Amino acid sequence: MNAKASETQLDAAAKAAVTISRPAEELRTLWLRPDTQARIWAHFADVVALDNRTAEWVAHGPAGGEYRWQTEMDDSATSELRWSTLEGADVANTGSLAFRPAPGERGTELHLDVRFDPPGGAVGEAVSKLFHIVPREIVLKALYQFRALALTGEIPTTDPQPAARNGGTDH
Amino acid sequence: MRALCWNGVNDLRVETVTDPAIINPNDVILKVRLSTTCGSDLHLIDGLIPTMKAGDVLGHEFMGEIVDVGREVTKVQRGDRVVVPSFISCGSCWYCQHDLYSLCDTTHPKPELQEPLLGYPTAGIYAYSHAFGGYAGAHAEYVRVPFANTDCFAVPDGVSDEAALFISDAAPTGFMGADFCNIQRGDVVAVWGCGGVGLMAQQGAMILGAERVIAIDRFPERLAQAAAFGAITLDYTQVDIIEALKELTGGRGPDACIDAVGMEAGGTGLQQAYDRVKQALYMETDRGAALRQAMLAVRKGGTLVILGVYGLMDKFPLGLLMNKGVTVRTAQQHGQAYVPRLLEHAQRGELTPAALATHRFSLEDSPTGYHMFKHKEDGCLRAVFMP
Repeated sequence: MNAKASETQLDAAAKAAVTISRPAEELRTLWLRPDTQARIWAHFADVVALDNRTAEWVAHGPAGGEYRWQTEMDDSATSELRWSTLEGADVANTGSLAFRPAPGERGTELHLDVRFDPPGGAVGEAVSKLFHIVPREIVLKALYQFRALALTGEIPTTDPQPAARNGGTDH
Repeated sequence: MRALCWNGVNDLRVETVTDPAIINPNDVILKVRLSTTCGSDLHLIDGLIPTMKAGDVLGHEFMGEIVDVGREVTKVQRGDRVVVPSFISCGSCWYCQHDLYSLCDTTHPKPELQEPLLGYPTAGIYAYSHAFGGYAGAHAEYVRVPFANTDCFAVPDGVSDEAALFISDAAPTGFMGADFCNIQRGDVVAVWGCGGVGLMAQQGAMILGAERVIAIDRFPERLAQAAAFGAITLDYTQVDIIEALKELTGGRGPDACIDAVGMEAGGTGLQQAYDRVKQALYMETDRGAALRQAMLAVRKGGTLVILGVYGLMDKFPLGLLMNKGVTVRTAQQHGQAYVPRLLEHAQRGELTPAALATHRFSLEDSPTGYHMFKHKEDGCLRAVFMP
């Protein structure tokens, strides 16, 4: 394996964990709500539920690039959710979210694992270049946003008034 | 509305900007009655803290009147006169539930900017760079306040706007520092810095029962205010601080030392020159003379409290802490844990934060206020802005 392939493979996967002081069942139910999916992945993709198990994702890359795929959710296990892309995905990927009890009265640990299989295989385009965001940031921000939603009912934002310049955008 | 915007290093301008609006259901909009300068703003203005963006509205210490409320807000209402701590805290997460409000898990909108620097994101804060959340500040006519049920505290009758203003940040930060000292009967507490936070730490230590409070600074008018609060004062340009503290404590050293100075500390001699040159070359961000002195001065087994804001520091005498068995306590203010108590102390006249308001300006003149505050002209302790 050459150095480039190794870097690309590392770039194509990310996992992260957070602990949320709520019962696993409550968090699992919240995660599966279509509007939750749309909100927690908003930094990365537009997610629209097609039915109970499938969703359409549209991720935006630099220079107007757009990547589409559909995912199917496997919610048959109570302690873990798994999803993967259906045939025809622009960027194939899989994800899993495991719920584990946290020690003491700290609630539930959520372990999120996402892997991308960019076009061209192991030596293909780096995921961070496709999406303009590194997989670690995709995963971590989704978890942080989910935690905020689960605990407070809202996701923190400064949009549309981050800084007051240009009508309130910081882009 | 009008607001004081940062446009680059030492470039502040009052501009017309978009009014804030309710975004999330726990938000309120505050009509700012008073806001004030904080020493930590100088780090932002001077460019010592990265991730500021041109146009950012400054100001994290403020009080005002609620003019609009989100649908989930139940504890305060339109027309309430409230004070708001500078850190935004949800009240629901593990950290808020344990009174560690500035470490709130849920209020940072850009955790990905801060997680690589600190390991984990902190609470968001008003006007303190985008790495700390990018929330618009309060040197403005209006400000959006998230999580009003946790973060807005009604100001009781008998507490003036000017007293309440400093219960936003200077008073809870200073009082928390005194609380961290775990003051016991007979304890002597030394405080480096007689700015707003230092003076509030001194009054806090007195309220919490310190036998003696010693205040260290170099500006006569600040030392005079410390003396007026009842502290023994030392001018570090006139006396050898370590020797003076030993003399005042029968050779024991202070039981607790509080650094309320931070990264722009003055100092004397070669160490000061060395620190200043390295800071100018961006080899470190902090000068640190006050902190090193406090570490040396504190008694064996004593407590060192760091309230000053620091980034990077080299030549940090870590072995000194270990060999002396010093307990180190530090935090950004967990204001929500202290504000109710501080409002009561202010109502009873035990805490007198309005004394910090030495100079008043209209919002339009706020750049002049910052200039005066930065250069400590005319004995300026804090500049207060009235939108």
